Amino acid sequence: MMLPRSLQWRLSLWLGLGVALLWAVAAVVTAHKLRHEMNEVFDSALEETAQRILPLAVLDIIGRDHDGDDDAEQSVATLRRHDEYFTYVVRDSEGKVLLRSHNADLAVFPPFAGTGFADTSTHRIYFDAALRGTVTIAVAEPLAHRRAVAEEVLLGLALPLGLVIPLSLLGVWAVVRLSMAPIRTFRSGIEARGGGDLTAVAADGLPSEIRPIAMAVNHLLERLRRTLEAERSFTANSAHELRTPVAAALAQTQRLIAEAPNEATRRRARHIETALRRLSRLSEKLMQLARAEGGRLQAAQPVNVATVLRVLVDEMTMDDPKQIELVLADAPVFSDIDADAFAILARNLIENALKHGSRHEPVRVALSADGVLRVFNAGSAVPADMLARLAEPFERGGAQGEGAGLGLAIAKAIASGIGGRIELVSPREGRQDGFEARFIPDK
Amino acid sequence: MRILLVEDDSILGAAVRDHIVASSHSVDWVTRLDAATAYLESAAYDLVLLDMMLPDGQGISFLRSMRMKGCATPVIILTALDQISDRIQGLNAGADDYMTKPFDLSELSARLNAVARRYSGNPNPLVEIGDLQIDLAARTVARGGRPIDLTAREWALFEAFVQRPGQIMSKVQLEERLYAFGAEVESNTIEVHVSRLRKKLGHSVIDTVRGIGYRLGNAR
Repeated sequence: MMLPRSLQWRLSLWLGLGVALLWAVAAVVTAHKLRHEMNEVFDSALEETAQRILPLAVLDIIGRDHDGDDDAEQSVATLRRHDEYFTYVVRDSEGKVLLRSHNADLAVFPPFAGTGFADTSTHRIYFDAALRGTVTIAVAEPLAHRRAVAEEVLLGLALPLGLVIPLSLLGVWAVVRLSMAPIRTFRSGIEARGGGDLTAVAADGLPSEIRPIAMAVNHLLERLRRTLEAERSFTANSAHELRTPVAAALAQTQRLIAEAPNEATRRRARHIETALRRLSRLSEKLMQLARAEGGRLQAAQPVNVATVLRVLVDEMTMDDPKQIELVLADAPVFSDIDADAFAILARNLIENALKHGSRHEPVRVALSADGVLRVFNAGSAVPADMLARLAEPFERGGAQGEGAGLGLAIAKAIASGIGGRIELVSPREGRQDGFEARFIPDK
Repeated sequence: MRILLVEDDSILGAAVRDHIVASSHSVDWVTRLDAATAYLESAAYDLVLLDMMLPDGQGISFLRSMRMKGCATPVIILTALDQISDRIQGLNAGADDYMTKPFDLSELSARLNAVARRYSGNPNPLVEIGDLQIDLAARTVARGGRPIDLTAREWALFEAFVQRPGQIMSKVQLEERLYAFGAEVESNTIEVHVSRLRKKLGHSVIDTVRGIGYRLGNAR
């Protein structure tokens, strides 16, 4: 038999079975004891009957001897015919029947073999003797009668048992269920936490056996939250620490270009400017990759990614609004992905499209109501084997352009970090050319 | 324009200050928020360039309290915080623009001109006054397609009039626009520049309002 996995069912089953078994054993023992006691009562009644009848029978027989009529076997006159439990015969020392009860069946009575009880296959019999063994009595009680009484008693014990066992099973199940309620609340509390919510789970009313587990879970959550926060602030701080000096160097270099006394100096300064831009782009991408491969990709509360996307596209099209065509669903699009992670993902897909797409056609960015982000660009189609390699870090499609080759790898890392995926399609659906990157948030 | 620059990095701050001065705006540069508060209270600025992480606090709370006090001076945030949530937070706190470091100085010029134009109620960079064609973005003036050369200070003064057509500006207001704190201003500097502007652009371009100041001429 397969044991149930649930603690509640296990407890209910074993406690219920235990109670039922104990009850059954108690019933059997009681029945046995009762039967014994009953036998004693019946036996004493049998003995009592014999001892009451015998003296009367002796008087009766002696009186009859005076009449000289001694061959008649007599049955005792009865007031009316009735069913007898006890039948008896009074016999002399040769076994001749002197007296018998009206229902007595002589075949039932074995010959006299001393005072006391004897059993036949059908009856319990008590023998007694008077006048030094010349008159004996045998009283018989049918065993069937005793058996019927015993069965009645047993039935009386078993009947409530049949009712009590299901009731006690139900009671045990209910009590166990009631005691498990705080554990169930705790479990659903953990389940409801989702990916981004790392606040402590309420542990009120938990049984003392489970409380340490709840404490441990909460400690773990707290540690996880602190680690992720440290990682996040580290990324933010190192971004700040890196960006400010690069910005200072770039601004100073640009002043140098503006103020340079001659063309040679200006050209040198321009080289520095180019190198600084490259440095800043690469450090930015590496930071994004670290963020993408780290934690905290899921938001504690649902985020309206449509707003995030609009702000992002506004920022990216500051210079030329015609570069990007944004198609948004009418309603807000809520998603569990962290706003910054989503922005990094979308920025990389869009930058990628701007970089590799045709200059003559705007990049099309579409966000559907179910949170699927699609970025389309025109331009020559990407061969299938290249498509498969594209999302690897440092792989540059076509090798021209200035990218670090990290964009799609960052987007892919974020997507898989929240349990979604990136799909690359080329040529675009229903077209001969172009490229589509698709972000599907779950499964 | 008179610009308040709040930036604690000395190398970056110096480059930005020099660039703004080279674009004929006047600039006061502070490295702390308490100084920024004091400067904002003591003079009228056309624009604030605000860093976010400063030694004595967060630029975002400074911006919020500034807006709470009813100060509507345009603010461009210059920050190393590049996350979209920082950007949304900055714009929600009342910033007019948000630039992440590192940025191009030319980009900075374009943004601050755009913000200034937005505030002067004249978002169109091309303005015509009389027979003059003025390009606020390119900082050029032309008459009948022929460009007229203005010095940086002349342009800064002229821009102040063009951005506030009809408004009378006192000598002190004009001086404030021209010079950063501590710069030497001679008593007749404004008169000298106004007369040079009239010579180059025509006498009716600037009206004198006796005892009060000057305003853009209504020769149009």
